[in-house]
Amino acid sequence: MHHVVLKRLGQAIFTMWIILTVLFFLFRLGLPDPTVALVSEGLSPEDRARIAARFGLDRGIFTQYFIYLRNVLSGELGRSFHYNAPVAGIVGDRFLNTMALMLPAILISYLVGPLLGVLLAWKRGSRLEVGGISGALILRSAPMFWTGMLAVMVFGIWFGWFPTSGMRTFPYEAAHFFDKIFTLDFLHHLILPATVIGLYYLGLPMLIMRNTMLEVLGENFIEFCQARGMSPARIMYAHAARNALLPVITQLAITIGLAVGGQVVVEVVFSWPGLGLEMFNAVRTSDYPLAQASFMLMAAIVLMLNLVVDLIYSWLDPRVTYTAAR
Amino acid sequence: MKRFLLTIWKTIRSDTPAFAGFCAVAVLIAVALGAPIIATHDPNEMNYRAEGSALWIDDPEAVELEESIVPETLRSVAWDGSRYVAVGESGTILGRSETDWERIDLAIDETLRGVSLSAQAGLAVGDGGRVLLFDGEAWIAEQLDESITLLAAASEDGGMLAVGERGSMYAGGTLLDAVERLDPAALGASFETETGGRWRQVNSGVTGDLHGATLSDGLGFIVGERGTLLRWENGRVESIDSPIFRDLNSVSLYDRDNGLAVGDRGTVLRWNGTEWREMQGPISRNIRSVTMTAPDRAVAVGTHGDIMILEGDVWTRVRSGYDRHFRGSAGSDTGFVVVGTDPYINALSPPGGEHLFGTTHNGRDIFSQVVYGSRTALIVGFIAALMVTVIGANVGLISGYFKGRTDSVLMRIVDIMYAIPLEPFAMVLVLLGRPGIGIIILAVGLLTWRTTARLIRSQVLSLAGRPFVKAARVAGSGHLRVLYVHIAPNVLPLVFLQLAVAMAFAITAEATLSFLGLGPPRLYSWGTILHQARLSGAWRIAWWWVIPPGVLIMITVVSVFFISRALEVIANPRLSRS
Repeated sequence: MHHVVLKRLGQAIFTMWIILTVLFFLFRLGLPDPTVALVSEGLSPEDRARIAARFGLDRGIFTQYFIYLRNVLSGELGRSFHYNAPVAGIVGDRFLNTMALMLPAILISYLVGPLLGVLLAWKRGSRLEVGGISGALILRSAPMFWTGMLAVMVFGIWFGWFPTSGMRTFPYEAAHFFDKIFTLDFLHHLILPATVIGLYYLGLPMLIMRNTMLEVLGENFIEFCQARGMSPARIMYAHAARNALLPVITQLAITIGLAVGGQVVVEVVFSWPGLGLEMFNAVRTSDYPLAQASFMLMAAIVLMLNLVVDLIYSWLDPRVTYTAAR
Repeated sequence: MKRFLLTIWKTIRSDTPAFAGFCAVAVLIAVALGAPIIATHDPNEMNYRAEGSALWIDDPEAVELEESIVPETLRSVAWDGSRYVAVGESGTILGRSETDWERIDLAIDETLRGVSLSAQAGLAVGDGGRVLLFDGEAWIAEQLDESITLLAAASEDGGMLAVGERGSMYAGGTLLDAVERLDPAALGASFETETGGRWRQVNSGVTGDLHGATLSDGLGFIVGERGTLLRWENGRVESIDSPIFRDLNSVSLYDRDNGLAVGDRGTVLRWNGTEWREMQGPISRNIRSVTMTAPDRAVAVGTHGDIMILEGDVWTRVRSGYDRHFRGSAGSDTGFVVVGTDPYINALSPPGGEHLFGTTHNGRDIFSQVVYGSRTALIVGFIAALMVTVIGANVGLISGYFKGRTDSVLMRIVDIMYAIPLEPFAMVLVLLGRPGIGIIILAVGLLTWRTTARLIRSQVLSLAGRPFVKAARVAGSGHLRVLYVHIAPNVLPLVFLQLAVAMAFAITAEATLSFLGLGPPRLYSWGTILHQARLSGAWRIAWWWVIPPGVLIMITVVSVFFISRALEVIANPRLSRS
């Protein structure tokens, strides 16, 4: 067991190192002279050279690379051009905002989705199943930024039920993060974007649950339950569903990972001050350090959650081993 | 191959959602191919509309638009103390005494450009030397020099003045007596009209076009091109020094001591009884008409909904909220009316009529944009999907066949790909390059082959151990031959299925990235349309701009989902539903 943990951890670290390396060379080759973005045009060559020296740009590229790795490891991610503040703090704050939106949305869809999935498997062959599957596929094919725009238009503007942007009504005072989110005002802002995200993610756990349920329902112990005279609802939800949950849990972790960086569009539509919106703005304002750090954080979190998935999997299902796989 | 296609067709035909999806995709491809024929407009063209509208202004805060009174543009309007008369293109002449405009049918089709009403007479002038006289009861059509376009009219106490192109100027009614008495040398051709009206051409002394005229208490002013200012008194015309050289478009006198003239680039001149002085106004574009109703009250109108009201010495801009181009103005004691409107940008027009899906904030036709957008969606979707499938299938084949170290390395790369979120990756690429279609294809192509690779690999893993592979090796086939000649055809159905799924994904990805503004700015795609809707800020109200592109994305993607679900059974027999 320890062996598996260490091995997966090592692989994750290796992957992160590759991503960091690619990112470094991408930025250094894509931007041969970062001072162009930093200083005004009319600077004399001497001044430009002095600034380049201050940022270490006069050294060899590999020296720069090692300095970069050392800085990243010590959490030194540079200063944002736009905010003129350390990137690490900004990125951390925005990451929490993103999570405050994504986690409730995804958790709700992963609570409701599997329950609906069980229902679809139970009512197999009925109109309900056809309708449910079609509904799930349609929800998954509507792009989230579009459903978000519709939601803002209908519930935000026409009916005026919900605020259409941000996560709190300005001006507000909050001593810290939890002070900010444990309020009715935050909940009011959360409902619209969270529903849009939740509906999009609902389809996947629903379909996965249905498929695994169908497999599980063919196994002997279900027949045994039926023989004992249990009600169908009890068999479905208490016995079969428990055995079909594993793939859904796996997918949950993967989804959370992707949601961290993947839902830029929702944050843009709802002006949610999260990591995605921050990166979007950083790209528009050519704020290289901020964009780079946002990207790093997103990749790191996906990796971490993939690692967690693997470990949960091997813990829940002892048949999965990593020595036999390759 | 033929049998294979037949199986596919039968599978789709027997599955209702899949068949519906198949039809939808077929229609979509037809639309993309026939885009130039199907599109009703050039998607990049700003669409204009013209119509006769009136705007009633009680004070700068209270305006009311009376839209589309007539389909013709209205050019000028006048008030005689009890009723309004408006004239416009194609011989349109409207009268209004109570609450409704009534068309006066005179069976003429020349554009009427100016109208003036006074207690005893009314006068409207237009193209082809057309003059309309009002005798208190009816309008009578007359004609002066056919080659002259008359641009403006003025009247007072039965005296009439008409001015037009190339310095042309005509006097009629009671003015005629004064002219003929004073200065016979300045007189040109005489016109006796059928109805007994008499006009004489007057030598204005200038050759530029004359745009406006006004009469009050025997004093008159005529304005025109390059700051031309003519003074009319007792039948005598004299040019006076103008403080500016910009074109003057309209002039209005309240009495001998108070008058206003307006012109290009926001020019405003004020007459104080002895001289014209330039004054400051809040409008910087062309001002086309001015009407003075009291020594301290006036209205002036121009293009793009520019309207301003003079109170005392200060002009106040009227926030009408309408982008129409107004041409004529009139005022009574209680308020003003302005009329127009020249072709103006048909912005944010709801669906219906000429524009099937309505227009954008720039007056562009949304239906045509959506039709052209289907091309971008399909082309980008197909190229990106092809790239994804080619990379993914090859990685999967090689990885599954060679196993061992090769497999380890390739699967590590796949793991890395799984750690990179798509939108941020595309944003980094844009940050280092510039937005465009290439970036989108590259981002989707480089990143999303990961799923295809894993799926193909797992199938190849099970195929590689089969006897026919060993037999081929024993028979002396090289690795490449075994891989691409013997194994590849067996995974081909799955590859095609993945191509379809990748295409659906690529279409969504293209829309998403274009929505973020990472797409090509001058090429329409469904995502770009929504991006522009968001940028304009109009998306919060203009539902016709938001709904069509999204519905099309949804239909396309869901169709591919339905088709691929039906085909999964053929492609991957292990998945066949028991």
